[in-house]
Amino acid sequence: MYTSTGYISFLLRRVTGVALVIYLFMHMWVIGSANGGPEVFDARLNLVQGPLFKLGEIALLAAVVWHAIDGIRLLIVHYFDVTEYRRSMFWAAIVVSAILVIAGGIPMLTFMLEEMGG
Amino acid sequence: MRIFQIQRYSAIALLVFLTIHMTVVHYPPFHIDFTRILERMASPVWKTIDIFFLGFVLAHALAGAYMVITDFESMYGVRRAMIWIAVIIGAIAFVYGTKTILAFQPPV
Repeated sequence: MYTSTGYISFLLRRVTGVALVIYLFMHMWVIGSANGGPEVFDARLNLVQGPLFKLGEIALLAAVVWHAIDGIRLLIVHYFDVTEYRRSMFWAAIVVSAILVIAGGIPMLTFMLEEMGG
Repeated sequence: MRIFQIQRYSAIALLVFLTIHMTVVHYPPFHIDFTRILERMASPVWKTIDIFFLGFVLAHALAGAYMVITDFESMYGVRRAMIWIAVIIGAIAFVYGTKTILAFQPPV
């Protein structure tokens, strides 16, 4: 049971979901500094634009993409009644997610290295 | 409407809003500051889109958090209280987030 694609999907969805809820409220705290004016906003935003946070953003992208693609898989299984393809759709979701994370992650990594290089 | 349905419908809305957000706001990556964000946020259309996005993301996040927490057997008895806590957190976060979105105004 604990190695079935259904269980892995359930676990990953829950773990990424909890991580994204925590991120959402942190994101609101950072962006909420706009209420204090442009200087306060830029100062707080600078705190979260260092290389470590940029790497964190790539992990965030992976969490968002997986959560969304696996969610689409669930919606398809639920609304189109294709339960017999659940397992193959799980692997398809992994492949699609990997492609999207690589496509989004490379520009992020390049931008981070450019900024570090000044 | 059941929590499960809130989760499903907000997920469908988020697929649209999140795609817009990621492609317009974060791709390709650039250095973000107040002035840069203001270029987009000066438009009332973007403010409206972001307020709807905020509403759907809060609904999805809080419904999801409720489901994760009430999955624990020990929390089953307090699930009604959990709904009210989620509603209160959601309302406060929505007001705060909307206020933040509206704070992106060009200096007078």
